[in-house]
Amino acid sequence: MNQVVSKYSIAGLQSAPPLLARIFPNQEWALIIVLLVECAIFSALGTNFLTAGNGFEIVRLSVEIGLLALALTPVIITGGIDLSVGSMMGLSAVVLGGLWHDAGWPLPFAVLAALLLGLTGGGLNALLIARLKLPPLIVTLGTFSLYRGLAEGLTRGLETYRGFPSEFLFLGQGYIGGIIPPQLFVLVLAIIGVWWLLHRSIHGRSLYAVGYSSEGAIFAGIPVGRRLTWVYVMSGFVASAAAVIYVAHLGQAKSDAGTGYELMAITAVVLGGTSIYGGRGTVLGTVLGLFAVVILQNGLRLSGQPAELAGILTGGLLLTTIIIDRYAHRRAANPLSKVTQSIVDEEFEVKNSQVAILSAVILTAALIVAGSNWALIRSLQLNAGSLPARSASGTAASPDEKSKLVIAVMPKAKGDPYFASCRQGAEEAATELGVELLWDGPTDLDPAKQNELVEAWITRGVDAIAVSVSNKEGISTVLRKAREKGIKVLTWDADAEKDARDFLVNQATPQGIGYTLTDEAARILSGSGEFAIITGSLSADNQNEWIRHIRARLAEKHPKLKLVGIQPSDDDRDRAFTEAQNIMKTKPNVKLIMGISAPAVPGAAEAVKQSGRKDVKVMGLSLPNLCKSYVHDGVIESVILWNTIDLGYLVVHASKAVKEGALKQGMTEMIAGRKGRVVVQNDEIILGAPFIFNKRNIDGFNF
Amino acid sequence: MPGSPLSTFNFARHQRELAALSAFAILLVLTGIVSPSFFDPANLRDLAVANAPVLIVAVGMTLVILAGQIDISVGSQFAVCSMLAGSLANTGIPVPLLVLLVPVAGGLLGALNGAFVAKLRMPSIVVTLAMMVVLRDALRWITEGAWVQGMPSGFQWFGAGQATGQVLIVIVALVVLFGIRWALNNLGAGRTVYAVGSDSEAARLAGVSPQQVVWVVFMLVGALTGLAALLNSVRFNSIPSNSGLGLELKAIAAVVVGGTAITGGRGSLIGTLIGTALLGTVGTALTYLGVNPFWEKAIQGGIILLALLSDILFSRMTSASIGLRREGAR
Repeated sequence: MNQVVSKYSIAGLQSAPPLLARIFPNQEWALIIVLLVECAIFSALGTNFLTAGNGFEIVRLSVEIGLLALALTPVIITGGIDLSVGSMMGLSAVVLGGLWHDAGWPLPFAVLAALLLGLTGGGLNALLIARLKLPPLIVTLGTFSLYRGLAEGLTRGLETYRGFPSEFLFLGQGYIGGIIPPQLFVLVLAIIGVWWLLHRSIHGRSLYAVGYSSEGAIFAGIPVGRRLTWVYVMSGFVASAAAVIYVAHLGQAKSDAGTGYELMAITAVVLGGTSIYGGRGTVLGTVLGLFAVVILQNGLRLSGQPAELAGILTGGLLLTTIIIDRYAHRRAANPLSKVTQSIVDEEFEVKNSQVAILSAVILTAALIVAGSNWALIRSLQLNAGSLPARSASGTAASPDEKSKLVIAVMPKAKGDPYFASCRQGAEEAATELGVELLWDGPTDLDPAKQNELVEAWITRGVDAIAVSVSNKEGISTVLRKAREKGIKVLTWDADAEKDARDFLVNQATPQGIGYTLTDEAARILSGSGEFAIITGSLSADNQNEWIRHIRARLAEKHPKLKLVGIQPSDDDRDRAFTEAQNIMKTKPNVKLIMGISAPAVPGAAEAVKQSGRKDVKVMGLSLPNLCKSYVHDGVIESVILWNTIDLGYLVVHASKAVKEGALKQGMTEMIAGRKGRVVVQNDEIILGAPFIFNKRNIDGFNF
Repeated sequence: MPGSPLSTFNFARHQRELAALSAFAILLVLTGIVSPSFFDPANLRDLAVANAPVLIVAVGMTLVILAGQIDISVGSQFAVCSMLAGSLANTGIPVPLLVLLVPVAGGLLGALNGAFVAKLRMPSIVVTLAMMVVLRDALRWITEGAWVQGMPSGFQWFGAGQATGQVLIVIVALVVLFGIRWALNNLGAGRTVYAVGSDSEAARLAGVSPQQVVWVVFMLVGALTGLAALLNSVRFNSIPSNSGLGLELKAIAAVVVGGTAITGGRGSLIGTLIGTALLGTVGTALTYLGVNPFWEKAIQGGIILLALLSDILFSRMTSASIGLRREGAR
């Protein structure tokens, strides 16, 4: 509202602004159109998109990002930015978990301490930005590293605090009246609070003045430093409040909480029309921007589109809205030049181009979605004869209609060569069995994404879900919910809690992997010597579990083998290369480097190869294709893995068998296509022991 | 320090470079005392080779920041160019053509950014944020995580062998750095980057086209990122699809620690060199010092904040004598 008043008073207009501009001072109507288009497209393409249940799920998904976006709106209106909010979430989550679990504080006090920490962290930002007048972008870039680093350092990256009481978890996972998520109230309160602050208080008005011209604000008698301090402190506080909800939502507190959330929050704010230069923006815009992003993600999931499309379309949407914005506010960038009476006229001129651009973008987006959907259906028809797309009813398969089974399979991460090869096998099985395969997973390290995807699949009404679990306790809640709705749930690659799934497709237990790695290392080193491990990221659950079993096996069987160092590689081949170089130089007695993440093994091997040292060997857990050349060069002694294609293949076969009742508790084997008889032990389907690839056999495998 | 006129002048102009340099020196001395093998020529060589591509990207980033803009899409551009380098090499095109094509491709990506920023007057942080997400996700969608492998033998080290190849990479990085430094200081085009960054409106009144400068700068950062991606790719014989994650933050941090003002118009490439060296050495130095890797991120964040604080400290010490005051941060 402020914006309108200032603009029209500059122009010297006596009359009130037009109605549209009064309700939507910042072109928010454009976002409403985007939202409507999204809803129209997804209710046509998606399954069960337009239901009350899904509506509330969307709210639940948007709370954490929404809180951050609401806190960032005033920050950006003052012309600043806060990149540290996601990291602050990680630090708060860890402190909350640590105080409660390790220090034995009562949970309410731990929550209070986490919130205080948020105030302090925001206070540090505020001190540097408001008092010392340092640029916010760089200050918060520094604290972005600092807070995340402290969280990792405090927990050594591997601590995950679990087992929170159910009253606390209710805040993040429960339903009031069976349908309304409790977080809704927090979000609504926050929206009202920030709205009142920005649009109804003198305090808020002064923030616009600060953002519009910091110098002008000083001359107008506004205490700029105090206002800025307040804004950044609040941003830190809200970030830790978001962390508390996040912990309750996922049921775990870990140093990677909120990774990448700052960018999503900034996207929502900017999409909502808040100018990144400051001085302009509304809470209504931020809320609309938030829902535009979240509904896009949710809708794509429900219509079975790949997760990557969400990023691409969000980026496109962002660019388009800013273009519209630029045209609408051409003069705002240069307020003193030609602000004359023609504002209203130009406003009308602009609208045509806005509508044109908007329609163009929506059309393109729709085309992309429709095109890829068409391609998907076509490929399915080509593969499995002509079958109509799944009907929209979605719930339990109607007996008379011979519709395809829908089996949803989730890897831990997309874009990982390991899971790409699993997918090959899964698609082979899906074609063979004539089922529809939905293959989707997180594209980044955010542990909350798996939950969101399962929620979407429940809403969509798939027949079976098979998950490679990256966060045991967190995902079990939603998996239980899926089972309650009659969906068969399997886990593969890594297990959830036992009561949250029907069967586990077990390629190898963490113990089996750890022991095989250790025994193979002992064989290469002939029983004694030093070795070092290069792991993925320091906070990866499964890798830390393998390391635990490796240590146990060392103590038990190979006392002369010494593990002298563990270095992280962040699943980045180049970083693994550097770490291997460092290990060789700082620990010259290390004769074996063990990589336990797929890119780490070739990275370490290249480092050993380039160093020219023949006495250092490399081994580990990786894909044969990535390591072949090094195995033949003699740098890599052996690669340990199971047949990943068979794993994906077996998952789809087992899912179908469980769904159709062909596989039940108590059976001792099942038949799985070309794999033939497969052993079943209790509730585990056994793929077979880990396999050791070496010079002699590696050429026989292609994955 | 505000004693003799000469020292006042030097400190005022190069305060932050000196601060970064002293931090770097402290780090080196400390590591050298605890673990003298850090100065092993092989280690220094490995450090130089590993950081040369980062340095090239940071040089491009310096230009963008000097011109008052920012580019957070360089990491994604790096990944796209890396995959492109590998795929092109696999089609069997000759190496010289490859050396030409990859930076050109990077330049095109940069030109796209530049068009949005310069022609459509959109804020660079938003444009490149969108570009970062779009490029990264598109690449992930297309490759599905597959690596580019099986490059011809002439690809690794440009077929020149490991020893020559390593020297070549470092030399190219330094030539880029000093070439652009010379251009920035001595060519009219170089001076316009500073002019646009310190006051775009004044530059326009002086006859410079700020849009053109900004566009060219974005194109340059793209081309340099392409070059860096190529040089990094030839260090290995395979190319992962997720390279360059977090590269934008590394480059921005190096530039800022090196004393370039994020508001534009002030800074030097020598500072960027020192900043890259400092931040690129910390990780390895910590391993030599035996510090737990868990603390690395926290220490890097601390370095950025300390660099900023040192700026203030120096400003306070010198501002009285030369009558300069920092502009209020927006």
